[in-house]
Amino acid sequence: MNKVVFNVSSVTNAMRGKTLLERNGIRAYVGRTVDAGGNNGCGYSITVPAGEERAEQLLVSAGIRIRSKQREPA
Amino acid sequence: MGIPMANRKTSWDSMIYLDNAATTWPKPAAVRGAVQQAMTIYGANPGRSGHSMGLAASEAVYRCREALAEFFHLENPANVVFVQNCTMALNIVLKGLLKDGGRIVVSDLEHNAVMRPLHALSPASPVYDVAVVTPGDIPATVSAFERCITPETRGIVCMHASNVFGTRLPIREIGAMAHRHHLPFVVDGAQSAGLFPIDMQKDSIDFLCIPGHKGLYGPMGIGALLCNSDRALPSFVEGGTGSQSLELLQPEELPDHLESGTLNTLGICGLKAGLDFVRAQGQEELLYRETRMMASFYDCLANIPGVELYTPRPSVETSAPVLSVNLAGRRSEEVAQALSQRGIACRAGLHCAPSAHRHFGTLETGTVRFAPSAFTTKAELERVCRAVWAESSPGRQIPGA
Repeated sequence: MNKVVFNVSSVTNAMRGKTLLERNGIRAYVGRTVDAGGNNGCGYSITVPAGEERAEQLLVSAGIRIRSKQREPA
Repeated sequence: MGIPMANRKTSWDSMIYLDNAATTWPKPAAVRGAVQQAMTIYGANPGRSGHSMGLAASEAVYRCREALAEFFHLENPANVVFVQNCTMALNIVLKGLLKDGGRIVVSDLEHNAVMRPLHALSPASPVYDVAVVTPGDIPATVSAFERCITPETRGIVCMHASNVFGTRLPIREIGAMAHRHHLPFVVDGAQSAGLFPIDMQKDSIDFLCIPGHKGLYGPMGIGALLCNSDRALPSFVEGGTGSQSLELLQPEELPDHLESGTLNTLGICGLKAGLDFVRAQGQEELLYRETRMMASFYDCLANIPGVELYTPRPSVETSAPVLSVNLAGRRSEEVAQALSQRGIACRAGLHCAPSAHRHFGTLETGTVRFAPSAFTTKAELERVCRAVWAESSPGRQIPGA
């Protein structure tokens, strides 16, 4: 099973997203993302081991902009 | 009774501190502990790294944003911007709202934190219109603000409470009026944050500027700008944010848009502990307790020959617990110095608010200002009252002495 990593624009949004997900029963971790090859440079991400679809719904509905996401082996 | 003395053990124990409108002192033990703890366990730069201590510091910073947003009824914690003080927050908002010209409506009691930035924008020709406050008369005050609105107006800015005379402005009614005119409403919460309830939704506040070190009991050097508006303010200082680093453009999202450079983690952690202290004590309880004490203090001063009072007896409806007085025939600075020699800390002069002194007719003399905190006791105020009596009537018997 893969975990999903949501890349967001700032550490504040990462913390906000993590808090939101945890309050809704979804485990989440904040980490540093370096996307130097992309167009946004340094940023932060929220890693969710399970519950990708619901997590994404919650983040989007809270106005947290997901810049990109990727799946990684759990 | 005040907060237990164990909380306030310092070398200034015998001093009676009534300069809390400038900054509250002492700070709660929990605040001092939080600052010290931050130095130890949140020593990494928040929002810059991915290692454990960096993320822990980032989380501590976020917890304070979250707590402030909840306390002031702001939906999104990301819209809490940390700045060094209330003055910086006001500068960001005022200069942002007027970036393309226009005018601002202010009250006639404003602090220089509002008036000097406005003056700096146009020294030769004022870019502000002044509404005369009628203390205690909400319709008259709101009407005065409304009459100042012109097609050039870009916003309404006012303090919640006068830092000199305690006069409370009806922000809920002014905010509603501002929004009826589709104007942003900005509140200077320097003297009210932590003491008066502030609801950014119900009070129609677009931008709330607050210090961390007064009624919120945090350390000096930390404040916040809370943004509750779709109107984007231009960045005030550009630089590193730990985000979108490939872009030379400042990130557009808050808080990064307005928060360049390293944050004051120690101040932020102290502010969070201060806010927790206020919540634990009860904001309303603190307000009523301090107001009751100041009302008794007012009654005591009113009976002293030669004491000049400028405002009605303090009440929560019309004033913050801040009292300004003078002694007939004596300069305010001289009186404050004499009280200092008696172990009483208070402030004299114009308190950075000449507008307020113009309103109350004390521009020439200034005033001696007394402001309590959660740590002030009734016994201390009684001692101050006796000291004022002694200064006012040298050689005369002090009643009850």
